[in-house]
Amino acid sequence: MADSFPIRASGLGKRYGDVTALEDLTLEVGQGEAFGFLGPNGAGKTTTIRLLLGLLRPSAGEAVVLGKRVSRSVAWRGEVGYLPGDMSYWPRLTGQETLDFLCALSGRAALARAGLLKRLDLGAAELARPVRTYSDGMRQKLGIVQALQCTPRLALLDEPTKGLDPLMQQAFYEIVTDMRRHGATVFLSSHVISEVERVCDRVAMLRAGRLVTVGTVMSLRQAERRRVIADFTDPVDVAALAHFGEIVASGERHVELLVAQDQMPALVARLGMLPLSDLLVERPTLEDAFLEKYR
Amino acid sequence: MSSVQVLLRHHVRLHRATLVPLAVGLAVFEWIMTVVAGQPSVSRFLTSALNAAPPQFLALLNQDQLSIISAQGIVSVGYSHPFALLMMAVVAVRVSSAALAGEIGRRTMDLMAARPILRAAHVTAALAAVVAGLGILAAAAYAGTLIGLVIGPVAGVSALRYAPVALQLWVLFACWGAIGIAVSALCREAGQAIAWTSGLMAGSFVLDYAARVWPTLAPLRPFSLFRYYEPQRVMSAGLAGHDLAVPAAVGAAALLLAYAVFSRRDL
Repeated sequence: MADSFPIRASGLGKRYGDVTALEDLTLEVGQGEAFGFLGPNGAGKTTTIRLLLGLLRPSAGEAVVLGKRVSRSVAWRGEVGYLPGDMSYWPRLTGQETLDFLCALSGRAALARAGLLKRLDLGAAELARPVRTYSDGMRQKLGIVQALQCTPRLALLDEPTKGLDPLMQQAFYEIVTDMRRHGATVFLSSHVISEVERVCDRVAMLRAGRLVTVGTVMSLRQAERRRVIADFTDPVDVAALAHFGEIVASGERHVELLVAQDQMPALVARLGMLPLSDLLVERPTLEDAFLEKYR
Repeated sequence: MSSVQVLLRHHVRLHRATLVPLAVGLAVFEWIMTVVAGQPSVSRFLTSALNAAPPQFLALLNQDQLSIISAQGIVSVGYSHPFALLMMAVVAVRVSSAALAGEIGRRTMDLMAARPILRAAHVTAALAAVVAGLGILAAAAYAGTLIGLVIGPVAGVSALRYAPVALQLWVLFACWGAIGIAVSALCREAGQAIAWTSGLMAGSFVLDYAARVWPTLAPLRPFSLFRYYEPQRVMSAGLAGHDLAVPAAVGAAALLLAYAVFSRRDL
């Protein structure tokens, strides 16, 4: 099977009795792509990742990862790096022992370990300590190193920057950029929309176990309405602007509207005929798109 | 290094801190039994005390009054004493429960199962860890007896006669370890697995005891795994086929269940 799509899910679903955790997920993630997976708590993001890894058995559909059916073999996992959303370790093991053990299980050399440790500022002294003494941030850094130390072709990262300070978040973004430069594919689940917007090419949004939308960050933004804020020198009939979009706030000399992209030229022309003192048009962010989908 | 070897080393690292004191404690206990057996005054005291004890108490030690009077019998009590059984049970239950259910409950199983290893390797490594751990304890028990009898020989007592008893002790608890692995494969938390395995073991022990004390329950005795562990009979008559075959068969069935369940379950 062609390997140009490291992740293919078709009709993937997971039920726990009467509860549907994921339903009919069909998705393809391309080679070298950074793919964001967004959704509120309980939307099915972690379930999807665990299905892709074969930790859960699907109730419906199937997943193909790195060209292999997930349920049929395990060798492909050697080329996958996985960072769970809720990192747990063996408390008595040191960081070094943890990395060595997980690397040995992967059956590959930890070629990227030294570089990752340096970038994430984890030194030999920290690695010599039992993991139970680590702060949340250190535990997350160790999680990133264990996931990426064997230079995976595909990284499945669940909430990767949770607990990291801004400097370390920046270091993580650089690591992802470098991975992609070397052709690796990154599947990133996150609550942090700005992070997904910054790192990812394409985004999928899940809601209550169902895929709401998939698209490039740009296309999702463009599909959203712009926020237009206009101030006037004299009182105007702001209600007359309602047919251009949705008025979200208004006063005698002030109006805020949400306007679709195709209505913008007409609105700007109309505003030009009014005693305009100030005009601000805000481009929609991915967060706007996200909030719009989940309202 | 194979994935089973890597996992086995992992189990050893997690349990060695517990295993060492248990092994030392068991060896010291068996050594003390040889010291006790070699002292006529202690022997006389125990004999008179045990002769006065009700048969139900002696049944708890899996001995009869005649055998325990001898020095050989006193040493053999060390292998059926609840302390020795408890030490073995701790390892069988702890290692088996921690290996699968414990890792799932702690969510570290995700880290391991996301690697390119078959789920069956986890079961195999758990079995290897349980068997090795119990082997170390059984060997420590025998070493305690051997060292005790070498340092302070007791007339009429040969250390060689306790080797099959230690072997039987190992096989019995390896069987319980396999049952523990099957239970562990079915559970989501170590505590749950510990409770079920300990409960099954305690139930089996009580059944064997009750069947020995109350003749009405005697027909049920073959259904207890502890029925196949009789140190005194093994020393006098040698190992019978069923002493090893029944625990081995039960253990093998439990392992098959563990492989089947763990390969298919959600983690």
